[in-house]
Amino acid sequence: MGRIQLHDIRKSFGAVDVLKGIDLTINEGELVVFVGPSGCGKSTLLRMIAGLDKPTSGRIEIDGVDVTPRSAADRGLAMVFQSYALYPHMTVRANMAFGLQNTKMPKPEIDARIAEAARMLEIEPLLERRPGQLSGGQRQRVAIGRAIVRRPTAFLLDEPLSNLDAELRVSMRAELSALHERLGATMIHVTHDQVEAMTMADRIVVLRAGKVEQVDTPLNLFNRPANLFVAGFIGAPGMNLWAGQARGGSVHLESGAHLPLPAGVAVPDGPLTFGIRPQHLRIEAGGPLRAEVRLVEALGPESVVHANLGEGGTLLAVLPGQPDLARGAVIELGYDAQAVHLFGADGQRVA
Amino acid sequence: MSRAVAFLTRRKGGERWDWTDVFTFVWLGSAVFIMFGPALWLVLSSFKSPAQLSEFPPTLLPYEAQTVVVEGFDRPLPLFTVTDEAGTRTLAEVRRVGTVAQMVDPENPGEVERVNIANRTPVREVGFSWGNYLDPFLRFDFLTYTKNSIFVTGVATLITLLTNSMAAFALSKYEFRGRGFVVVLIIATLMIPLSVILVPLYSIVSGVGLINSLWGVILPTVATPTGVFLLRQYMLTIPDELLEAARMDHASEWQIYWRIVLPLTAPALAVLAIFSVVWRWNDFLWPLIVLSRQEVYTLQVGLNAYAGELNVQWHYLLAMTVITMIPVVLVFIFLQRFITAGIAGTGLK
Amino acid sequence: MTGVKGMLGAVVTAPLGALARVLDAPLRLWQRLTGQGGMVAFFLLPNMAIFTIFVLLPLVINVAYSMTTGAALFLPERTYVGAAQYERLLRCADYTNLATCQEDQFWIALRNTGTFVVLQVSLLIVAATITALILNRALRALSFWRAVFFFPVLLSPVVVGLIWRWILDRNGVLNAALVGMGMDPVNWLLERNYAFSAAIGVTIWAHLGFFALILLAGLQAIPRDLYEAAEMDGTKPARVFWRITLPLLMPNMLVVIVLALIRAVQVFDEAYVLTGGGPGTATLFLTQYIYEVGFASLLKNPGLAAAASILMGGVLILLTLLQLALGKRNERKGRLK
Repeated sequence: MGRIQLHDIRKSFGAVDVLKGIDLTINEGELVVFVGPSGCGKSTLLRMIAGLDKPTSGRIEIDGVDVTPRSAADRGLAMVFQSYALYPHMTVRANMAFGLQNTKMPKPEIDARIAEAARMLEIEPLLERRPGQLSGGQRQRVAIGRAIVRRPTAFLLDEPLSNLDAELRVSMRAELSALHERLGATMIHVTHDQVEAMTMADRIVVLRAGKVEQVDTPLNLFNRPANLFVAGFIGAPGMNLWAGQARGGSVHLESGAHLPLPAGVAVPDGPLTFGIRPQHLRIEAGGPLRAEVRLVEALGPESVVHANLGEGGTLLAVLPGQPDLARGAVIELGYDAQAVHLFGADGQRVA
Repeated sequence: MSRAVAFLTRRKGGERWDWTDVFTFVWLGSAVFIMFGPALWLVLSSFKSPAQLSEFPPTLLPYEAQTVVVEGFDRPLPLFTVTDEAGTRTLAEVRRVGTVAQMVDPENPGEVERVNIANRTPVREVGFSWGNYLDPFLRFDFLTYTKNSIFVTGVATLITLLTNSMAAFALSKYEFRGRGFVVVLIIATLMIPLSVILVPLYSIVSGVGLINSLWGVILPTVATPTGVFLLRQYMLTIPDELLEAARMDHASEWQIYWRIVLPLTAPALAVLAIFSVVWRWNDFLWPLIVLSRQEVYTLQVGLNAYAGELNVQWHYLLAMTVITMIPVVLVFIFLQRFITAGIAGTGLK
Repeated sequence: MTGVKGMLGAVVTAPLGALARVLDAPLRLWQRLTGQGGMVAFFLLPNMAIFTIFVLLPLVINVAYSMTTGAALFLPERTYVGAAQYERLLRCADYTNLATCQEDQFWIALRNTGTFVVLQVSLLIVAATITALILNRALRALSFWRAVFFFPVLLSPVVVGLIWRWILDRNGVLNAALVGMGMDPVNWLLERNYAFSAAIGVTIWAHLGFFALILLAGLQAIPRDLYEAAEMDGTKPARVFWRITLPLLMPNMLVVIVLALIRAVQVFDEAYVLTGGGPGTATLFLTQYIYEVGFASLLKNPGLAAAASILMGGVLILLTLLQLALGKRNERKGRLK
């Protein structure tokens, strides 16, 4: 129960194509995160799955059944809204009971489900209060509780953590993951926060401008981004990406550096982009990269170094500890060959 | 009241009395008198007997002539204070012939005195003629008028709230073709007063057979563009996510309307309800045209008819005016803040 | 206040709730059959049906009605006469002498209404502005003072008319006061100029609080720190009023003026109960003219009444458009801020 398949989902508002053909399979019990910059269509896609919006074309299947023509209520899904959308004039208990009453569920069953969800979420003392009397984190729990009591085939969460403060967000993140473990239900979580995506997801769907850029596990996205967009989007601080020319087994950067290609990698001569994560650079006398330090952000356990790489190119390195670097100092940096990412002129990964 | 006095004696900033302070003092002082005075005078007058009402100059408070039961006389006799050469004493009048009254001392009923009526004044004390209030209900049709007014006000307000809120819901929470047109149409007719469409409206109401029917008074007033407009503005502030959550919760559109949107619109509904009650209770011109038979008169029309009679019976008329005023005054006393906030916020009246 | 609000809300929604529960099952079926479009139609239908029959239709019919003559009530039975009714309304042999007009009553009503509008609105606005300014000074007992001025606003026009008829009666308390001060009593409602002034005074009495309240809301929206800044600059109070208060109050003021104009053009109820249009035609106003020509007089002429009401409607529409335009401008200004 809870396998969701999307077949060539398209959505246009007038002449604007918001979604340009999405194919995706979400397996039973998976926690999938839709991530992407704002306006990429991730929320629209979620609303389409929920049944709140209808796709212009394409098909949505849940457990092999085409639900595209069905209304939101008849898809057996539950949604947690960004604003929580708790009914302000009802108590927490009434909020959770509302949907169940609408399906004419017997009262003892409703009470049992609410009690169970309230215990799980530790909101029992709040049941008779109204949403206006709750803190942000408590409202969040109630919104999740309202979804849980429905026993849905899948949970849809639309940026549920974005209204919480940073500290609460971290703890709620962990709680949501734990809840997923416990319920074993399919969850689709939409966020623009890549840390949230990395820490929670079984698989991440990276969206940009209405298209799926890559679908993979968090570590695979980090280690083997399929294209320049994903490479730049995943990981903080962002990957160093330098345009250059492949020529005779090495890459000539526009800033003047010559970087040898890793052993065993063969690329045809021509333009490409050389990528290396800041965490994978290290100080190495005689290393292939020479840069002039512009700014050092000492964070304690590590230091983020901003440096100029000749001819306007910039370099970012995350170095362990607290290296003694002054502004204007020239450093030489090296890296492991297997940490290098190469992208062709079309932006796709070459190696 | 003491706070009012404190305010009146408060001066602007410094020690000196500024001319604006004096002006404020005068303006507010006369306002209490001019604004409250007339209504107070109405209430005081409504308790006076017909004889007292025709007195000039009038007394401030209502008085009743004192009577006394004297041995040997069947009915109570009116008491007078007589002042003449013989001194001042209290006597009861037996009968009056021309300018001379035959009077007796209640203590000593055997002896009849003749007193010139110029030498006596009636003994009176403050008393209320409750008959002014009771008689119109018992002897005239005011009970019917009151019932009609309550029916019109209640039914019109209920229908107004229901139909206006449904329309406002459709116009604020659904996208459909022609929505903009309907909204513009409603705003455009916001200020079209009844007086502009009196004649054709009469022919339509007559065409559907509602002349001399209270429904003929109710129906043309309930589809108020003002109400739809006010409620729609309020409903626009209810987040759409709430409705979507309800849809995911298996709520039908009708349930969304009455379980989610209506309760959340309660403050605006209350404002509309108050105004609707006041409007419908006070309506005059349209009922005046539609209702021409006494048994369907509302209070306002009944009062006007009563005031238009050749020989106006002011003692009844004043009392009935007070009765007509009471519901609105009650609304005012209990919901004043509410109403003033509503007006300041919407320019509604 | 929230308690009152909540209680009222409950009182209002409870009977509707009972009705709603009964309707739920059939409406679910309806929604299933017709989808959201069907539900939108259902929500709109009652209001729009009543609105169409009792507001829109009369508006449209009125134009046709004004081009017909006769005593018949229903439009199809009436005789078409083109613009004859308008001609009758507007035709005068000599426009400097109203007595030569074919429909001299209309012209008298027009003149009376015009005079009334100019005098009543200007006096009303001045009084409302002064009241609002004074109330704006009052920090203490504001709600009491607001109530003092607002109290007559909710009274029915019939009640207002009767209250003042009683006070202005020949043997009324006002004359008693005059006599008490050694002056001669005045026949307030039976002398032309006094009756006209009484109509103005009484309508101001009844509506002052309403307009003062809107102006007060405008005054209270002016940020306090502007006044403090002016005080720091040593600005004189009069200058503060002309250069800060009045310009910032202007948007509200314009709306209030237009609203007062719209109301004054339609003056009827209070004046009718107070004077019945008399003495003679001294306080005959347009709405009363329409009422009498259309319904009350022996020589009923609904077509003529319709024509007159359309002329009045034209004026009101112009004023309404003006108000909407002002409202739009305020809104834009508000957004710029």
